[in-house]
Amino acid sequence: MRVRLTLGLVDRPGTLLNVLEQIAIHGGNIISIIHNRDRITAGYVPVSINVEFPSIEQLEKAKIGIESIGVPVMEAETLEKKIETLLLIGSIDIDSTTEAIQMEGGKVVGLSLTGSPSSACLKLIVETPLEKRQRLIKSLETLAESQGSLLIREEES
Amino acid sequence: MIKALILGYGFLGKSLIKRLIIEPVPGLLIVGIANSKGYIYSSEGIKLKDLKDKLEENKEFETGRASDLISKDYVDLLIELTPTNIITGEPGLSHVKKAITQGIDVVTANKGPVVLALNELKKMADENGVIFRYEGTVGGGIPIFSLIDKCLRGDKVISIRGILNGTTNYILTRMHFEGLTFELALREAMMLGIAERNPTLDVEGIDTAIKIVILANSIIGLNKKLSDVKIRGITKITPEAISAAKENGMTIKLIGSIEDGELSVEPRLIRLNHPLCVHGTLNAINIRTSILKNLTLIGEGAGESTIASIINDIYDVITHKSASI
Repeated sequence: MRVRLTLGLVDRPGTLLNVLEQIAIHGGNIISIIHNRDRITAGYVPVSINVEFPSIEQLEKAKIGIESIGVPVMEAETLEKKIETLLLIGSIDIDSTTEAIQMEGGKVVGLSLTGSPSSACLKLIVETPLEKRQRLIKSLETLAESQGSLLIREEES
Repeated sequence: MIKALILGYGFLGKSLIKRLIIEPVPGLLIVGIANSKGYIYSSEGIKLKDLKDKLEENKEFETGRASDLISKDYVDLLIELTPTNIITGEPGLSHVKKAITQGIDVVTANKGPVVLALNELKKMADENGVIFRYEGTVGGGIPIFSLIDKCLRGDKVISIRGILNGTTNYILTRMHFEGLTFELALREAMMLGIAERNPTLDVEGIDTAIKIVILANSIIGLNKKLSDVKIRGITKITPEAISAAKENGMTIKLIGSIEDGELSVEPRLIRLNHPLCVHGTLNAINIRTSILKNLTLIGEGAGESTIASIINDIYDVITHKSASI
């Protein structure tokens, strides 16, 4: 999995090297490093590192390792996202549906509604970080069941 | 000669006999044919060409339990083609068990016994040294079990998904191309004889679920039951949903899948250029394996194409028996 780690580094020689060591120990493959020297905040230099980790467990271990050497991990954002079409058929509550998507870390990037109120068809284009997708689908399935509607997801290619 | 008994004289039984008249299987002698009312039997072999369409109208017809013929004294091979019963598996299950314990090889296209007791039947067959084949139970003429058995030795199947029911695929195809409602497409399928008079098993996804259980237990080596499958049918699919899919270059198909040990049957959005996106009454099965990776098979999933699977299974029995002599 590919992630962007945003770290707050003290502007002191050797700090970045120690961070890279922690990433390497946990199997991370560094893709790029961006050093935002012009955005120093409270003595910290924000550094963005794009890393490929073999698994989410390795990422979590790396985060603990980095924090153990006194470097705060400000953000770990997944770079791999899935954009997919979902259909909901039947009786639909749009607000609770979009809310559920946001709650699970997804983003609605497209939406259209057709049909009658009792037999509506809601088409959603949803962007989700890859590791959160399964949970999002499960949550939408549960919601669809409680609404008496049917969720149709995309078949993997 | 392998002496065979055909149990079940419905669509498949009659189609098999028609095919055997056109092209006999070398080494196969049909000595018995039975339906629920009785049977005809001749140790010299039945003259298939002279058979009347109604079994009872043949002068050799005897009323009585056809299962009495399941004895090594009479037959070497049972071709079990009685109707599927997914609750009890009967009468097929008792027929198959009796044959196996008597040392009689079995070829079946009856999903009932296979979905309910495949692992038990395979174990019994191993213990009794008999051959048990059931290719016709899934995907009609698509040789999925034989292919994996004979052509993918050493590889490991990781997941399976597919369109496994011709009736629902026909309905969804008509909804996609003609804009029909579900009800209208179903009525059309019933008029054409594609859907049965009671289409519940098909449209509610149960038939697909049965096949998914058989695939999971036979190919992936699981021990699943029908109740382990998450099942959603196609009755709620509306023309609006199909239109919404079409706008994105997709359609809706009923997909059965086995992924990470989880079994499901549900309508899914599928791209029109996806290898599984077949139309009409066609079936498609996609397997993912460790070495080969991806393989998709497409073919007619029901009707006379099933005879191809049954005949291949019969050849398999004859080949095994000749090799062991």
